[in-house]
Amino acid sequence: MVNPASAAYVMWYRQVKRFIRTRSRLVGAILQPIFWMVFLGLGFTSALKGAPVFGGIDYLTFFIPGVVMMAVFFTAFFSGISVIWDREFGFLKEILVAPASRTATIAGRILGDVTISMLQGVIVLTIAFLMVPNLRLLGVPLVLVAVFFTALQFTGLGIALASKLKSFEGFQLVNMLIAMPIFFLSGAFYPVNALPAPASLIAYLNPLVYGVDLSRTALTGIGFLPLTSALTVLIASSLFLLVVAVWGFKKATAE
Amino acid sequence: MSDIVVAEGLTKTFGTLKAVDEVSFTVKRGEIFGFLGPNGAGKTTTINLLTTLMKPTSGRGMVAGFDVQREPQKVRERIGVLFQDLTLDRELTGWENLWIHGLIYGVPRGFLRSRIRELLAFVELEDWAGSQVKKYSGGMQRRLQIAAALLHRPEILFLDEPTLGLDPQTRAHIWDYILFLQRNEKVTVFLTTHYMDEAERLCHRTAIIDHGRIIALGSPEELKRALGSEVVYVQLASKSLQETERMAESLKGCREFSRVHVVRPGEISVSAARAPEAIPKIFEKAEGLTVKIREVTYHMPTLEDVFLHLTGRKLRDEEVSGMEAVRIRHRWR
Repeated sequence: MVNPASAAYVMWYRQVKRFIRTRSRLVGAILQPIFWMVFLGLGFTSALKGAPVFGGIDYLTFFIPGVVMMAVFFTAFFSGISVIWDREFGFLKEILVAPASRTATIAGRILGDVTISMLQGVIVLTIAFLMVPNLRLLGVPLVLVAVFFTALQFTGLGIALASKLKSFEGFQLVNMLIAMPIFFLSGAFYPVNALPAPASLIAYLNPLVYGVDLSRTALTGIGFLPLTSALTVLIASSLFLLVVAVWGFKKATAE
Repeated sequence: MSDIVVAEGLTKTFGTLKAVDEVSFTVKRGEIFGFLGPNGAGKTTTINLLTTLMKPTSGRGMVAGFDVQREPQKVRERIGVLFQDLTLDRELTGWENLWIHGLIYGVPRGFLRSRIRELLAFVELEDWAGSQVKKYSGGMQRRLQIAAALLHRPEILFLDEPTLGLDPQTRAHIWDYILFLQRNEKVTVFLTTHYMDEAERLCHRTAIIDHGRIIALGSPEELKRALGSEVVYVQLASKSLQETERMAESLKGCREFSRVHVVRPGEISVSAARAPEAIPKIFEKAEGLTVKIREVTYHMPTLEDVFLHLTGRKLRDEEVSGMEAVRIRHRWR
């Protein structure tokens, strides 16, 4: 019998090692959010000076919690979906003929992806505090909670989708039809409650909205959802996606 | 129990295609058993069935005493698999890959470190343990995969085309590892290959497989002996088909020769019980027909000749027909 904890640990180990090993990912993890903050955040800050829609704070302060969550979202989602690469490059086969339980291996992998997504979140959060020092330091624990569950949500969604896709041809499509709408409708760029009715309804179906709103409430005090309901939806949806991911992976690898 | 693998009517269909068609055989504990056949013959699919990656459409497979369909977990604990393509993580080092492999195969952590050292030494990769696998040559990657497959001391090792795409020196090296394992570690080996020299060199018994069916099974010697004779190739000075056929006809009339084939215009192959004694007869016949002979060669039959005899086709370098291309594509779907 293979110890499930060992199997889970080793999958976690692999995901983290890979992340640390790939220099370009680390550099990208640091540079990309800086680009967002500087090129988009600072640009809009001066263009939108005094606009009433951002609750009285400047655009960069409004935008920065969203950048943190965006970074977490992309890392988690694409780590999850990289199961396709494992299938294409053969590593998955190694796992499938191993006697370890599939639940343990996929759980370990999810934990690994959540770990690197959180690492990414912490890096961006640190940069955020350097750029906008008047963010609320006391809000950090709550942001970390939001980061954790958002990482779980999108690792889950990524793995669930990867289990459905049979090759990486579908990957571009997923990026276009799923990642981009989630990203733009996350409330990171503008408050989604300011959208006209049908669009704002769609926004409420976007799991990323809750993490963004929660961390904005935590860091700036401005959010449009009550804290407890944002937290409840966030936790519930992340657990739901986790179950779907484990189920999808087990189903996809049944034969 | 002496049979470590028992396949009974094992069948796998993909749509209308029978990739593996009612295959039955047994592998004895401790032997090297080979599946020899051209690309798309169903070799890899058979490995996938026996290693629990795929479920058979019908039939039964037992590996190390457990049913592959009913108790896949038990089977997985007892087998080591070397897949045709690299299944290790290219971004990680050799050592890291073995560490991961060992733990998902349930090797106790305290024992794993020394086992990894032992196997890295066996495949002569100690100096490369800290390098990323993507920096390894093809032969080194294959050796690391062999080490990985052996970590948990499997009772049986499945090797899918273990020397595919390797240079002759590296191939010989991998053969030495396989022979060492079977002799010294008492590991049973099931391998697939489309190289007849590999099957002849390594296998105690070989099944020849074509279009998903086993068409012959036995030791390489038995298979060759079934041809009954040595193979003589006669090259005529002229490339005329008419002349070649005339010559072939007259050779068919002699009792010394069995199985006269026109290989191509100007070339005839014949089987003879004792070639050196039969060759003068060929010259005698040629003289009678005033056919000029350019060259006569003979050799002991190879598995290649056996395959040619059984299927009328050559084992290697054959055109992959549409149907076979489908088989190949289906390997991993």
